Amino acid sequence: MTADLKYAFRMLVKAPAFASIAILTLALGIGANTAIFSLIHELFLRGLPFKDPSRIMHIYGEAKERDLKQLPFSVPKFWHYRDGQTVFSSVAADWGNGYILTGLGEPVQVLGENVTANYFDLLGIRPILGRSFLPQEEMHDDVALITENFWRKRLSSDPGVLGRSIALNGVVTTIVGVLPNLPISWFGRDTEVFTVKPFENSNATKERMMLGYSFMRCIGRLKPDVTMEQAQSAMPALVQSYRTQHPETADCTWTSVLVSASEDVTGDLRPAFVTLLIAVGAVLLIACSNVANLLLVRFSGRRREIALRMALGADRRDVVRLFLLESTTVSVIAGIIGWCLALWIVALAPKMAGDNVPLENSISLHWPVLVFTLALSLLTGLAMGCYPAWQSSRADLIEGLKESIRAVSGSRGQHRLRRGLVAAQVALSMVLLATAAMLASSFVRLSNQETGFRSDHVWAAGIGLPDGRYPDAASRGRFAQRLVDEVQASPGVETTATVEALPMSGNYSQTPYARADGNPLPVNHRPLGLTRSISPGYFQTLRIPLLAGRDFTERDGTDAPLVVILSNSTAKKLFPGENPLGKQLLFGVDHGNGLMAEVIGVVGDVRSRELAKANDVEFYRPSPQRSFSFFNLVVRTSVNPETAAPMVRAALDKIDKEIPILQPNTLDTIITQSLGQRRLTMGLLGAFAGIALLLAVVGIYGAVAYTVEQRTAEIGVRMALGAQVKDVLRLVVRQGMNPVLIGLGLGLVAIFGTGRFLTAQLYQISPHNPILLALTAAGLAIAALLACLVPARRATSIDPIQALRAE
Amino acid sequence: MIRLHNLERSYPLGRGQLFYVLRDIDLDIAEGDFVSIMGPSGAGKSTLLHILGMHDHGWTGEYFFDETAVHHLKAKERATLRNEQIGFVFQQYHLLDDLTVYENLDIPLSYRHYSKSERAALVADALDRFQIVGKKDLYPRQLSGGQQQLVGVARAIIAGPKLLLADEPTGNLHSSQGEEIMELFRRLNEEGMTIVQVTHSEKNASYGKRIVQLRDGWIV
Repeated sequence: MTADLKYAFRMLVKAPAFASIAILTLALGIGANTAIFSLIHELFLRGLPFKDPSRIMHIYGEAKERDLKQLPFSVPKFWHYRDGQTVFSSVAADWGNGYILTGLGEPVQVLGENVTANYFDLLGIRPILGRSFLPQEEMHDDVALITENFWRKRLSSDPGVLGRSIALNGVVTTIVGVLPNLPISWFGRDTEVFTVKPFENSNATKERMMLGYSFMRCIGRLKPDVTMEQAQSAMPALVQSYRTQHPETADCTWTSVLVSASEDVTGDLRPAFVTLLIAVGAVLLIACSNVANLLLVRFSGRRREIALRMALGADRRDVVRLFLLESTTVSVIAGIIGWCLALWIVALAPKMAGDNVPLENSISLHWPVLVFTLALSLLTGLAMGCYPAWQSSRADLIEGLKESIRAVSGSRGQHRLRRGLVAAQVALSMVLLATAAMLASSFVRLSNQETGFRSDHVWAAGIGLPDGRYPDAASRGRFAQRLVDEVQASPGVETTATVEALPMSGNYSQTPYARADGNPLPVNHRPLGLTRSISPGYFQTLRIPLLAGRDFTERDGTDAPLVVILSNSTAKKLFPGENPLGKQLLFGVDHGNGLMAEVIGVVGDVRSRELAKANDVEFYRPSPQRSFSFFNLVVRTSVNPETAAPMVRAALDKIDKEIPILQPNTLDTIITQSLGQRRLTMGLLGAFAGIALLLAVVGIYGAVAYTVEQRTAEIGVRMALGAQVKDVLRLVVRQGMNPVLIGLGLGLVAIFGTGRFLTAQLYQISPHNPILLALTAAGLAIAALLACLVPARRATSIDPIQALRAE
Repeated sequence: MIRLHNLERSYPLGRGQLFYVLRDIDLDIAEGDFVSIMGPSGAGKSTLLHILGMHDHGWTGEYFFDETAVHHLKAKERATLRNEQIGFVFQQYHLLDDLTVYENLDIPLSYRHYSKSERAALVADALDRFQIVGKKDLYPRQLSGGQQQLVGVARAIIAGPKLLLADEPTGNLHSSQGEEIMELFRRLNEEGMTIVQVTHSEKNASYGKRIVQLRDGWIV
C-alpha cells in the first residue's frame, strides 16, 4: 500500500500538467461545495447555540383571511398563554429596544432587548459572569445583563463589572451578569444590553397595550414529553379561551402558529441555499467528469504498464487499487486546496450578504465542515477513479505488451463514456448559467425598480429619546421640530424631516384600519395597514409627489384633529371612484374602536417594505399624533449626503448633547443592503456558473484535443484521401460539438423541468424566458465551439506523411 | 504524364547542414506506365511516392503533372489536383476502423464534388466491380488482410484517378493475397491506369513495366 502510494505520488510528479489540471479542477469543485456547506452548516445545521433548540418554539399570531402572518404578541395575550398553556415547560417574551448609554464617555445608542426574567433560562443561555434575571426582578428592578462584547469593549473587561451601574435612557441600572456573545440570527446584529421590563413600552399607552397592541416575540420550550404537533394542536383551545376572556383586544381573532426556533431564523433562506447547494453539486459533478475523462485517458495510455504488472503477477484488483490510489491522491490534494478556497469564499459571504442574511461577521470552518471536505475528497477520488481504473485494468496482456509508440484510443465504450461526460457537463453548465443569468437579470431589474421616491443625496440616522426626559408626544414633538429646524438651517441641506421607520430598512408597523362610514368591522376583524408617522417635509425630502390635498403642517399637532395622508393605491382601494379627501378612517385600537382621522391628502405609491412588491396599503400619519420615542431623521443635501452627519451632530449638541446618532447611513446604501440576500445568491451562483463554464470549456477542449490526438492517423488518412482543411475542421468540430448540442438540449429540458423551483427567487422574469435561454445556449455553444476550434486547427496542421508513418 | 527534373528533398540537420533524402531526381512517367520503385530501406522510395502524391511539399526542383507545373502551385491548388488525379494504396490499408466498407469507399467521394446519388452509384459500382457487395456493411476488423487491401484499392480508384500510387501494397499480406492484389493492379494498368508502386519484392516488381532503383536518394 505504502509503495503504491509512493508510486502514485511519483506518477503525479512525472505528469505535472495532468496533475495540476486535475487538482485545480477538483479544487474548484470541492472548494465551492465546502464553502456552501460551511454556510449551510452555519445557518441551518449548527443550530442556534441554545440548549436543545429544536424544542424551542416561536409562537406567531396569524389571520389568514386577512393575509396576516407572523404577527407578534400583545401583553394580555402573552399573560394568557403563559398562564393557561400546558404544553410548554416555560413561556417567555422579548422585544427589541434601543438604549442611550451615558456615563461611559460620549453618549451612545446601544441596541438591546426587554425580556421576561425567564428568557435566558428558557433558551438555556448561562451568563459567563454573574447570574441571569430573577423572577422577582421582572417589572420591578432596574437591572441589566450585558454581552461579553459590551463588557470587553465598553467596560474594558472590568473584573468588577457585577454590581456596576450604567445609565440606560437616563435610568441608573445595575449589571447583574455578563452573557456570552449571542447569535445575530436570533438577536440581530449588535444587540448588547438586556433589561427586564418587558411589559412597558413607551410607544404605547397602557390602554393601547391592554387592547392588543402587539409588539412582543413569544417563545416556549416544549415539555419533554410533548411534540411540536401536540403543542400546535393545543393552540386552538388557548386561542378560544383568549377570545372569550379578552373579546375587546385587536389580536383575539388571530390563530396561533408554532415555528421551531431554527426554522424561524432560516425559513426565508432555504430556497436560496437549496439552489446554491444544487449549483455547487453541479460544479462538482462537472469537475469530477472532467477529471474522470482525464483519468480515463491517462489510465488507458498506460496499458503497457498494466500488462507488464499483470505479467509480473498483479491481479486486476491490484491494478484497480493502484489507479484508485492515484485518483484519491489527486482528490485529497484538491480537497486541501479546496479548503483554502472555501475559507476565502466564506470570508466574503457576510460582506456580500450585508445585514440581510444572519451570518456572523466572521465564519470559521468547523470540524463537521472538515469532515465533509475530507469525505467529499475521498468519495470524489473513488467515484471518478473507479470506472477508468476498472476499464483500464481490462487490458489484454499480449496486446498491451506489444504496444509501443502507438497511443491507445480506448474502447468504443470509453469513447461513448467520454462523449457522455461532455454532454453531462454541458447540460449542467447550461442549467447553472441560465439560472445565474436569470438571477442576475432579476437582480438588475430589482436594482432598477422604480421605488416611487428619490434616495439619492439623502442621509438618514436613528434618534432615540429617553422616556425620562421625553415622556410624551408633546416633548418628543418639540425635540423633533427643533432638530429639523436646526438641521434645515445648515449649509447644503435642502430639506429635512423625521419618519418613524425608514423605507426599505426592514422596520415597519401596521395598524388596524377601517372606513368610518357605513358599518365598520369590529376592530379585531379589521385588516392591518402599513402606517408611517412622518413630519411635514417628508414627502418633499424623499421627492414623493403629492397628488391631491395637502401635506402635513405644524398645525397637525397633538391636540389638532387627527389627519391621515393615503398612498394613491390606498385611496383607490378604500375609496374607489370617490374623492377621498375629507373622508374619515378609523385607526388603531384606542377606545375599542380606533381613532377617527380625516384624509387630507393623497401621495404617490412607494415601495417601502420590499423592492419586489408594491405596497397594497400605506398610511402616513403626522408624528405628533402617532408619536414614538425612536424615529429617523432624513436629510436631503445638495452636496455629498455624508456631510450631513457632522451638521446633525452639531444640531443635536445644541438641543441635547446626550442624544446619540444611531446607524447613520445614506438611503441609497440602505436600499442596496435590502438586496443583500439576492446579491449573495446571485454572486455565489454567478461565480459557480463561471467556474462551471470554465470547467466545461476545459472539459470540451480536453476531450476534443484527446480525440484529435487519438485520430491523428485517421485524419492523416483522410487528408491523404483528399480531405482539405475545411473538411478536417468540420470533422473535428462536428464530433466535438455533437455531445455539446446533446448537452444543451438536455440542459434546456432540465431547465423546463426544474424552472418552477426558481420562480420564487426571480423578479419580473420567467424561468423559461426564451431570450435569456437562447442567449445562454448560444453563449455556451460559442464557448464550446472555440474550445473545439483550437484542437481542430491543430488537426489541420497534421502532416499526413508523419501520421501515416506513425501508424 | 509526370516529369521530374532536378528534384531534391532534404531535412535540416542543424548548424546549417542538410540531410538529403532525394538528390537530383530526373524521372519521366508516361500515361499507362506501371513503374515499380525499388531500393533498400532509407533509399527515399516512400518520400518520392509522397512527393508524386503531392503530400510532401518541402522539395525543390521541377515537377510537371500533365504539363501542370506542380512546383508553381500553392498547397491548396496541389490538393485540388491530387484529389482529381491521384489515388493511394497504403501498406497498412488505412481503412477507418469505425466506418463500414461502404462508408470507407464513400470517404474520398465525400471530399470531392459529387452529389449524394452520384456517390451512391459510384460506391455501388466499386462494390460490384471488386465483388465485395456482400461485405459492404462489415467493419474493417471483420475482414481478412487481403479483403481489407481490396477495399483499400477500391477506395483509391473510386474517384477515377489517372494515377495510382501504392506504397508496399502487399507488405502486410501473405503470398496468395499479395498475388491477387498484384493481379488486380495489372488489370487496372491494362485498363489504362498509370501505376507507381514502391516495393521490396522482385516478384511484385515484375508485374510492372519498368523498375526505378533508388539508393541513398539517387536514381541508379
